[in-house]
Amino acid sequence: MSAPAAVDLPALDLPAGLFGFPDAHRFALVEWGEPGLGLFLLRCLDTEGLEFLVAAPHALFPDYAPEIPDADADRLGLTDPSDALLLVIVTLPDRVEDATANLLAPVVVNARTRRAEQIVLDTGSHSMRAPLTRS
Amino acid sequence: MLSRREGAAVLVLTRKAGQSVMIGQDVVVTVFEVRGDTVRLGIQAPREVAVHREEVFRELQRANRSAASPSPAALESLGRLLPTRAPTDGPER
Repeated sequence: MSAPAAVDLPALDLPAGLFGFPDAHRFALVEWGEPGLGLFLLRCLDTEGLEFLVAAPHALFPDYAPEIPDADADRLGLTDPSDALLLVIVTLPDRVEDATANLLAPVVVNARTRRAEQIVLDTGSHSMRAPLTRS
Repeated sequence: MLSRREGAAVLVLTRKAGQSVMIGQDVVVTVFEVRGDTVRLGIQAPREVAVHREEVFRELQRANRSAASPSPAALESLGRLLPTRAPTDGPER
């Protein structure tokens, strides 16, 4: 695994921040780990040292294709579903085998405008702590 | 009437089903139905105002805080744990 390359994508703008981090507005997305796994570090540009491991779910959660509520899509200016990039936040506990991903509240990025928001899906079918690895 | 919760003053109002309260200029909270200890509320708010159930909101705060800034050691362990190739038909590189 190589050190993260210099930020190669434009910064993401999260006007509302993340839950628990309302002042974290600008993030860089840095690819992490093996290409194709869809893992990134979401690195805050406002708060030194604040970053999150996030997953684009296609590889690790291939069946995850939630419908984005209209109000959230409107707020993000999402008119075309193909503009939406989903990122789920990963929690790494002490035992890394117990890593989980938050499928209930994904970060939805409008790939066209780079505007993003952590939204809450209103169905009861998504877990806040879905196991990352099948063990 | 003022009450206190977690140290902050709380305005307490009595409403009946069908009645509403205004919060600021453009948020309307309406009591739809009261049945036993359950109240159904309708919330009309501008789209930039996010509305959440409090317990979900707090739980998401906790989840994000525990996810924040994973240690380099944890990341390294995860890197060893994960497959070296994507298991599905993700984008080719």
